[in-house]
Amino acid sequence: MEEKEITLSSKEQWQVLKRLFSYAKPHRKEFAVALTFLALLTVGEVLGPFLIKVFIDDFIIPRNIDVQMIAILAITFLVVQVTNAFLMYFQGVKFQMIALKIIQQLRVDIFSKVQNLGMVFFDKIPVGSIVSRVTNDTEAIKEMFVSVLAIFLQSGFLLIGTFAAMFFLNPGFALVCLLLLPVIFYIIKTYRRLSSRFYQEIRERLSQLNAKLNESLQGMNIIQIFQQEERMQKEFGAINEKHYQAGMKNIKIDGRLLRPAVDLVQIFSLVILISFFGIVSFQHPIEIGVLFAFVTYLNRLFEPINSVMQQLTFFQQAVVSAARVFKVLDDERVNPEQSVAKVQEIHEGKVEFKNVSFSYDGKQRVLENISFTVHPGQTVALVGQTGSGKSSIINLLMRFYEFQEGDIFIDGRSIREYPIEELRKKIGLVLQDSFMFYGTVKDNIRLHNQEITDEQIREAAQFVQAHTFIEKLPDGYDHKVTERGSTFSSGQRQLIAFARTIVTDPLILVLDEATANIDTETEELIQNALSKMRKGRTTIAIAHRLSTIQDADLILVMHRGRIVERGNHQQLLAKKGLYYKMYLLQNGLAHEIQEAITTN
Amino acid sequence: MMKVFKDLSWFFRQEWKSYLKGIFLLFLIAFLQLIPPRIVGETADEMSRGELTIGRLFFWLSLLIGTGLILYIFRYYWRIYIFGSSLKLARQLRKQLYDHFTKMSSAFYQRRRIGDLMAHATNDVQAVQQTAGAGILTLVDSILTGGFVILTMALSIDWRLTIISLLPMPIIALMTNIYGAKLHRRFRKAQEAFSDLNDKTLESISGIKVIKTFGQEKEDIEDFRKQSEDVVLKNIAVAKIDALYDPTISGIVGLSLFLSIGVGAKFVLDGAITIGQLISFNTYLGLLIWPMLAFGMLFNILERGRASYDRIQQLLAEPVDIKDAEDAVMQVPSGDIDFHVDKFTYPNDDEPVLKNIHFYLKKGNTLGIVGKTGSGKTTLIKLLLREFEGYDGAISIGGIPINQYQLKAYRQAFGYVPQDQFLFSTTIRENIAFARPDATDEEIMQAAKIADIHNDILHFAEGYDTVVGERGVSLSGGQKQRISIARALVLNPEILILDDSLSAVDANTEEQILAALKENRAGKTTIISSHRLSAIQHADLILVLQDGTIAESGNHEELMARDGWYRKMYYQQQLESLVERGG
Repeated sequence: MEEKEITLSSKEQWQVLKRLFSYAKPHRKEFAVALTFLALLTVGEVLGPFLIKVFIDDFIIPRNIDVQMIAILAITFLVVQVTNAFLMYFQGVKFQMIALKIIQQLRVDIFSKVQNLGMVFFDKIPVGSIVSRVTNDTEAIKEMFVSVLAIFLQSGFLLIGTFAAMFFLNPGFALVCLLLLPVIFYIIKTYRRLSSRFYQEIRERLSQLNAKLNESLQGMNIIQIFQQEERMQKEFGAINEKHYQAGMKNIKIDGRLLRPAVDLVQIFSLVILISFFGIVSFQHPIEIGVLFAFVTYLNRLFEPINSVMQQLTFFQQAVVSAARVFKVLDDERVNPEQSVAKVQEIHEGKVEFKNVSFSYDGKQRVLENISFTVHPGQTVALVGQTGSGKSSIINLLMRFYEFQEGDIFIDGRSIREYPIEELRKKIGLVLQDSFMFYGTVKDNIRLHNQEITDEQIREAAQFVQAHTFIEKLPDGYDHKVTERGSTFSSGQRQLIAFARTIVTDPLILVLDEATANIDTETEELIQNALSKMRKGRTTIAIAHRLSTIQDADLILVMHRGRIVERGNHQQLLAKKGLYYKMYLLQNGLAHEIQEAITTN
Repeated sequence: MMKVFKDLSWFFRQEWKSYLKGIFLLFLIAFLQLIPPRIVGETADEMSRGELTIGRLFFWLSLLIGTGLILYIFRYYWRIYIFGSSLKLARQLRKQLYDHFTKMSSAFYQRRRIGDLMAHATNDVQAVQQTAGAGILTLVDSILTGGFVILTMALSIDWRLTIISLLPMPIIALMTNIYGAKLHRRFRKAQEAFSDLNDKTLESISGIKVIKTFGQEKEDIEDFRKQSEDVVLKNIAVAKIDALYDPTISGIVGLSLFLSIGVGAKFVLDGAITIGQLISFNTYLGLLIWPMLAFGMLFNILERGRASYDRIQQLLAEPVDIKDAEDAVMQVPSGDIDFHVDKFTYPNDDEPVLKNIHFYLKKGNTLGIVGKTGSGKTTLIKLLLREFEGYDGAISIGGIPINQYQLKAYRQAFGYVPQDQFLFSTTIRENIAFARPDATDEEIMQAAKIADIHNDILHFAEGYDTVVGERGVSLSGGQKQRISIARALVLNPEILILDDSLSAVDANTEEQILAALKENRAGKTTIISSHRLSAIQHADLILVLQDGTIAESGNHEELMARDGWYRKMYYQQQLESLVERGG
């Protein structure tokens, strides 16, 4: 849904632009400096031809060889040129710096926003598309701030400066030149209108082309087995042809309205110049220097116009990207809210679910009237098929999602009434897939918490028995984790994840057991670590292997969002119900299985 | 560097008319654009001497307007000729690549990543297009315009003045070259920083649950801020070089201007040139900036074009590996399948995936293949479909070895439903009729009914015209599987292959589909692979594959009578389905 092209009305475009420019506000001072440089630069640019004009009219034509005056003039000219070069450099860098900082702010803003969005958001939007909002779209906006904005401003200044100089030299002619402006604006407007349409078209054609190609490559064996190669070639050929046509149209529009058109207008400006001065020269002699200055000014007048027109497509793209970024910034799917009256702390670690019902989409309930209590220090295990609702219970306890009915209590108080920081501090979750970050092993245990000392990290690793294998790694705790930890076995990753949790010493432990196959040796390590971790902590564990939770104080068997059986291991086995059948399956007791089937 | 032009010479020969016209126009433009400055100079002289009459003025103006209009037209047309041709090249290369892709076998697709192939057809083609368009333009333009302007300045005005005023110009080329190298390095660093930031973002979002669990959002944002700060710094380093170009150019041009005016003034005073000529001269100077820059850009464009073109050529040079034998028969296979494979190993693999697979399947019978993931079920089917060759042994249908059939005819016998249900992003109707675009609505619906998807389709807003995929309705795995089945059924094939393609449908639906298949496919061969035994329970022959070899075979009754894997698995799956139903 997010990847579709957004088409914006001109009013929306304007709003996006306004919002984008509000990001420039904190850089007001730097902007002022850059603009001052730009203004000075413009004066310098305008001054150059003027000095030459003075040289021609006052010295050459009258053959007035005042060496001292000429030297002064020459030096002034050189000084102006050099100063100009410096001004040009500094304003260029300055504008880029401002633009980059603006983009950085925008990036941090959208990244922060994403961090504060609830899991609902991440369920709906693919990771790739979120990443592209944070990086690629902001990069497109950067283009606009760096090149478009700077060039628009420079061009504007230069235009005004040039006209001012022309008015100073010869108001009459400058006035005539003003007539060129509407022509140019008309060309720009027409170009913008047509090009945005055709540009859109060529982009669409290109994305069709790529989509077709991508799809064909993915489904190539289907195409080949059903022998549709020729048909697909034809279809691709048709899209390829349309893309070519759109490209030709673009070339034609560009050819008609871009450089050639501006060049033509430039010639017309010369026509005006010559006829103006020609007519004047019929009455009285003219200053050739002024004519020279005008030729130079007119040349310069058209440079900015050409650059502006080349930037128009970037501009269009930046606006679309900005609209996408703002859409994320305005997303309302934020984290569940806490209603904290005063600072509350968790001391005991008693967890209670009371008639909790929950649905991810508001339609289908995944948890139905769930109630259970875990007393401090006890272990409760959740078992059941995939999709039975085990993970949802954890998701609610972790406040990843807001539940609709019932309530969850910790130490007798609703979890909504604790500050989120307190919940995060006291509840330690070990996730099924042990996500590894870029950095060292140490970094992966500490994460961003700088209060944790190296000693504590070591202790935690020793506690979960990860120390032995970490020690053996090259560089030990400073071993670099690459490619999401793919060089580690999944068991090793689990152990590191355990250490990560245990180092924060949580009061309540939430375990989501890994489904992945782990070799028996590590498996033993993991089981040992787990039982050590559970000691003295309230534990809620999702178990896929029933063998790991046989000593749990309470086992909840879930099916389709409900608790269908509860009790300890022995009680549940005696019941010969769902738990018993799962137990048989997992232990591969062929004889009992056959029996269970035939008696059922 | 110019090698790429040689490599592309086939295309230039093919489009020689357009290129010739385009280059000729560029030649005329280079010449014509010298006229306006000249006119300004001449009129200025006539004005200063008071010789300008209305007639003269009118003459000059019409000349000027005429030149302008002709230039406009020429400038428009060379774009059509040269840029248009480069578009043609892109179209042609894309077509070549696509056609080539459709000929390549599975082995090729195993070797190459799709993203990589895409990059060839997009980025590389574009770089080559640039070479054939902008590359030619900059080459021709910088030589023609540059040469013409310098010649005109030297011949029509003063060669001494030309040399003197051009002295600083090489500095532009020199400096931009130095900047270019530096810029390239810094730009790469900036790109790296950006891609690090991209990785960081990807990592944070993929690991969002961990971050939330440990309540480290703020710290992570801070980390992001630092990394994005790094991006800013690296980009400022780029900007510091990038911003040097304009001042350098304008500074050097200013210097040239200074020299030409200073020395030119002396020449005017000496009477060597007129004041008008001096004005023209300076306008010419302005015309030289672009060729200078163009020359710098040229190398960049050509370099990139060459690398890209080489990559494309390499890809096109990959041989088509499954070809028909010379004496292959043009006949659609039919009859018993005799399968004897002693050993098969995937290309670039060491371990064989199939060992000693021997079976005989009568025409019209149903074959069931079961086994764990990786036991070789799909590979067996791929060999039968001739997606891979190079096995030890022989497979024949109707007594003829399968590689003796022409591939085109051979595959007409098969209706294949692959494991990964791949649908095209078009309507359901077109997806089902994929292999037979001329199928009637009845035939399509009939196939959909057998695959038990007809009722589902009617429930979609636009029925059979509903578009599937990202732009349309998102289907469940089971629905996709059933549409894939209908797609194969529309062919009413001699041999229907279901490669684990009932895995996502529930038990009832599976039963209905199997029953409908039995009814509709009397006398035709069906091959079903599955890890669920219920799907193959009624097959005439069942193969139990383990580690690429046949562990057990027979029909259901025979297999149940033995105390083997099949029986054990059968009971286990029965219990599993019980558990799924909640006991």
